[in-house]
Amino acid sequence: MLRPDPDESLRYLGVPEPPEDLRRRAGAAGEALAGLVQPRYTYRICGLERREEGFLLAGTGVLLTGSTAARMLADCRQAALLACTLGARFDLKLLALQARDMAEAALWDACGSALAEAGCEAAEAELAARFPELFLTDRFSPGYGDLPLTLQPDICAALDAGRRLGVHVSESLLMNPVKTVTAVIGLSDRPQAARIRGCAYCQMRETCQLRKGGIRCGTEN
Amino acid sequence: MEQRIETRSQGENGKGCLKEILAQKSFLLLDGGMGTVLQQKGLTPGGVPELLNLTNPELIRSVHRDYIDAGSRVIYTNTFGANSLKLARAGADTASVVSAAVAIAREAAGDTGTLTALDVGPLGELLEPMGSLPFERACELFREMIAAGTAAGADLIAIETMTDLQEARAALLAAKECSSLPVFVTMSFDETGRTFTGCTAASMARTLEGLGADAVGLNCSLGPDKLAPLLREVSENTRLPVIAKPNAGLPDPVDGRYDMGPEDFVQAMLACVEAGASIAGGCCGTTPDYIRRLKAALAGRRAAPRRYAGGSFLCTPVCPLTIDGVRVVGERVNPTGKKRFQQALLENDLDYILDVAVEQEEAGAHILDVNVGFPGVDEADMLPRVVKKLQSAVSVPLQLDSSNPDALEAGLRVYCGKASVNSVNGEPEVLERVLPIVKKYGAAVVGLTLDKQGIPQTAEGRVAIARRILDAALAHGIPGEDVWIDCLTLTVSAQQDQAQETLKAVRAVREELGLQTLLGVSNISFGLPNRPLITRSFLTQALGAGLTLPIINPNQREMLDAVSAFRVLSGEDSQCRDYIERFAGVTVRTEVVSSGAPAPSAAGEGGKSLESAILKGLKADAGRLAREALASGEADELSLVETHLIPALDRVGDGYEKGTVFLPQLLSAAQAAQAVFEVIRSSIAAKGGAPVKKGTLIVATVQGDIHDIGKNIVKTVLENYGYEVLDLGRDVPPEAVAEAAEHRKVRLVGLSALMTTTLPAMEETVRQLKALPEPPVVFVGGAVVTPDYAGRIGADYYARDARQSVEIAKEVLG
Repeated sequence: MLRPDPDESLRYLGVPEPPEDLRRRAGAAGEALAGLVQPRYTYRICGLERREEGFLLAGTGVLLTGSTAARMLADCRQAALLACTLGARFDLKLLALQARDMAEAALWDACGSALAEAGCEAAEAELAARFPELFLTDRFSPGYGDLPLTLQPDICAALDAGRRLGVHVSESLLMNPVKTVTAVIGLSDRPQAARIRGCAYCQMRETCQLRKGGIRCGTEN
Repeated sequence: MEQRIETRSQGENGKGCLKEILAQKSFLLLDGGMGTVLQQKGLTPGGVPELLNLTNPELIRSVHRDYIDAGSRVIYTNTFGANSLKLARAGADTASVVSAAVAIAREAAGDTGTLTALDVGPLGELLEPMGSLPFERACELFREMIAAGTAAGADLIAIETMTDLQEARAALLAAKECSSLPVFVTMSFDETGRTFTGCTAASMARTLEGLGADAVGLNCSLGPDKLAPLLREVSENTRLPVIAKPNAGLPDPVDGRYDMGPEDFVQAMLACVEAGASIAGGCCGTTPDYIRRLKAALAGRRAAPRRYAGGSFLCTPVCPLTIDGVRVVGERVNPTGKKRFQQALLENDLDYILDVAVEQEEAGAHILDVNVGFPGVDEADMLPRVVKKLQSAVSVPLQLDSSNPDALEAGLRVYCGKASVNSVNGEPEVLERVLPIVKKYGAAVVGLTLDKQGIPQTAEGRVAIARRILDAALAHGIPGEDVWIDCLTLTVSAQQDQAQETLKAVRAVREELGLQTLLGVSNISFGLPNRPLITRSFLTQALGAGLTLPIINPNQREMLDAVSAFRVLSGEDSQCRDYIERFAGVTVRTEVVSSGAPAPSAAGEGGKSLESAILKGLKADAGRLAREALASGEADELSLVETHLIPALDRVGDGYEKGTVFLPQLLSAAQAAQAVFEVIRSSIAAKGGAPVKKGTLIVATVQGDIHDIGKNIVKTVLENYGYEVLDLGRDVPPEAVAEAAEHRKVRLVGLSALMTTTLPAMEETVRQLKALPEPPVVFVGGAVVTPDYAGRIGADYYARDARQSVEIAKEVLG
C-alpha cells in the first residue's frame, strides 16, 4: 500500500518544519487516506517522431511543443505518457470532510497531493523495472516549464483515461478528479542528467503558493 | 420533455422480441469491442470514432457484420461518445451522427433478426457534486441522443461504461421519458469491487431496477476473471436479467494488446454465467473471434438459477442498506418546534441543515428523515436543494418527508440511489397522486394508517388501512418490500389507551402483512416530565412488538443504547458484537443529582477557559463552555463574541502571520469558534431575537474553476469572525456574481481562481462587478493570482491567504 509522506504533505500546506502534533495529525490523515484510496495509473510507451513544432508521440495525436520537451527528450527515441489519479472517491471524501472539519479537509487535501505524487513514483519505478536497459528522464507535466496545459485533452484521449481511470478534462483544462497528474517521461539509451524539478524552469514560479511561503515543491538543481 | 418518440413499429417488436428471448431462460449474445477493433483497423487512439459513421460507414458496417456472423444477436451502434458535449469539440452534431450510426447497424442486421442497440456512453464531464455538470443538463444531453436513436429505428437502448450512478440515472430517466424502447444499463467496476466513484454493485442494481431498466450489469474495465463475484452481487440484488460485457483483460502499455486470449476469456465467462449473467458479450479488446467462441461455449447451456435475495433496501451509491433488522431513522432534519432550524430554512442556510444531518450520521443513524416544510419556504424548490447538499457530504440514505407531491418528485429526481418517501395515507386521492411518483423513481414509501376519518382508535382499523395502502402500492407495481407502514404514535398523556393500540397494530402489520414498520417514537412522551424515560420505554416495547424503523433522535445516546440492547436480546446482533463494541471500556455511572453545585465559568474551570479551548481547537469544549457561560448569566451573547471569541481568534491569526501557527491549526481554532457562534445563534433564535452579524460578503470561485477548497477555507475563517458569507460556490458565471452582489446589496466580494486558464473569467467578473451602479469592493486570491495581476484587472485587494481576507473584511465591513 502506498502512503503519503507526512513531511511532504505538510510542505504542500506551507509548513516547513512541522511541530510534532501536526506531524502526527498529518500521519494519521495520510494513513486513513491510504486505507480509503490508492493511486491508480496507466501509461503507454510511444515512439517519438521529431517534427518542426516538437515531438509527436507515434500513434497518438499528442504533439509536445516548447523548449522543456525539446531539452528533456533530446536524447530519447521513446517516451511514456502517464496518468495517475486518486479517483473520484477522494473528491467525494474531501467534499464530505469540508462539511465536517475544514482543518482535517486541508490536511487530507495535502496528503492527497503527496499520495498522487507517490503514485507517479510507483509508476516510474515500474517503468524502470520493465526497461532495465533504458534510462528515464525526469517526469514532466503540462503546465510545467513551457509544456502547454492545452495538451491535457490529447494526453487523456491517447491514454483512454476516461474509461481506464475515470479521468476527465474540463473545457478550462482542469483535471477531474482533483488529484490527477499527467506526465511525460522520456526513455533513452544513455544516462539522463537534465533536471526539470526546480523553480527556475517552472511556469508557475511567479504565482506559486509554496514559493510565496518561501518553500520549494521539489529538488532544486 | 415528456414527448415520447414512437415512430417505428420495430421499437415494440424489439421489446417483444427481447422479452421473448429473456423469458426463454436462454442466453442473449451481444457483440464485442468496437473501439479497439477500429484501432486494429487503423484508427488513431484519441480520434473520434463516432465520426466514422459519416466518413467511413462501410468500415463500421463491416465490424457489425463480422459480429453478426460470429453470432451476436444484439449489436451496439458506434455511438458511445455521440453526445453533443463530445461531438461539439469535433464539429459534428448528435442527430446526424446517431441517425447515421443506427442506419448502418440496421443495414448490417438486414433480415438476420439481429437487434440494434443504441450505444450510450458517459458524457465525458463529471456531474455535480464531483464536477459541475447539472443533473438536468445531463438528462437533456442524453435525451437528445436517445430521441435521435429511437427515431432512427434502434430496437433498444444500451447505456454503458457508467462509473457515476447519478449519470447512469440521468441517462435511464432520459430514456424512460423520451422513448418506449427497452433499456440495458451497465456500469464499469474496478478491482476494489466498486466503480471509480465508489458505487457498489448492490446500489447500482437496486437503483436502476427501481428506475425501470430492463436489464442491468457490468461492462468494460476488467476481464471476466475478476467479474464473477461482482455479478453474483448484482444478481442477488435484482430480478432483472444480468449483463456481462467485460474486457479481454488488461492492455499492455507497450503494444496496447489485451492480455486475455479468446479461450481464457470464454472460460472465465462461464464463471460469470454461473454467477447469474444471461446476457453476454465483450468490451475493449474482444473481437468477433471471442464472440464466436463464446457462442459455442454457451450452446446447450441454460442460464443459472437466479438468487435474488429480495427484502427491503435503501441506498446511496456508497452505502447499500439492507433492512433485515432494526434500522434507526434520524428525525432531526425537521423544522417542527426548532427555532434555529426554521431560521436556517428562511435564510437559506443549507450549511446548518447539513451540520444537523452530519451529527446524526456520526451518532449512528442509518437513514435520515428530511423535512423542510415551513411557512414561507417553497418546498418544491428547497427539498431538491437540501437533498443535493446532504448527499454531497452524508453517505447514509435519505427519507424524503413531505406532503407536497411536487416537492417529493423534485427531491426524488435528484436523489442518487434508492430513497424512501414519507408519506402517503389511506386516502385514495393521496395514493393516486403520490404512488406513481414513488414507482417512477423506484423509491420505498411510508403509509400512515389514517384517512379522511382520522386515525382509527383500534389496531384493527389501522391494519385495515395498512392493507389498503399495500394493495394500492401493489396495483401501481410497487413491491411489498417497499411498502412501510407507520401505525402512528399518539401522545400517551392525552390518549393513554392508544399506546397499546399502536403496539398491537405494529405487531399485526409485521405478522399478518409482513411489512416493515415505522414509528415516530418521541411523540409518545409530549407533556410528561422526564420525557426520555417514557420515550425509551415505549421504544423498547415497540421494538418488541416488531417495529423495524424507529424514527428517533440519534443524538440521545440512551435511545441508541436501547436499540443496541434490543438487538442483543432479539438475536439480531450476532454474538453481541455491536453491543460489546459500543460499550467496551464504558463505565456506567448512576448519576446523583446534587443541588448548589458551582456554575462553571467561561473564564475557566480547572484551567480550561473558552479562550484556551478555541486556541487549541477543541470544538466540543468551546461549545460547552459558551453554553455554560450563557446559562450562568456570566456573559451575554455580545460580550461572548467581543471579549472571548474575537481576541482568541486574533491571537491565532497573529501566530499564523508569524509562522508559529499553521493552516490546520488556524482552521481548528476557527471551527471551535464556530461552535461558540452556533451556541450564540441558537440562544438568540430561542429568544426570537435578530441574528448578530458583522456584515455580509460574497465569495465565489470563478467560472471554469471547480477546485474550491481554498475559497472554502476563506469562508470558514471569515464566518468565525462573525461575518455572514454568501457562498456562491464554484464555476460561477460572472453574471451570477454581479447579480447576487447587486440583489443582496453586498459591499464586499471575494473571488478565487486556481488555473491560468480561468483568470480571464476572474477579470470579466471584476469588470461586471465594477460596472454595477454601486460597485462592491473586490478582493481576489488563489494559486495563480498575484498582487500585480489583482491590480491590473481592477480588484481592490489581493488576499494572500485566509487570514488576510479577514483583515480586508475588517477594513471594509468593520
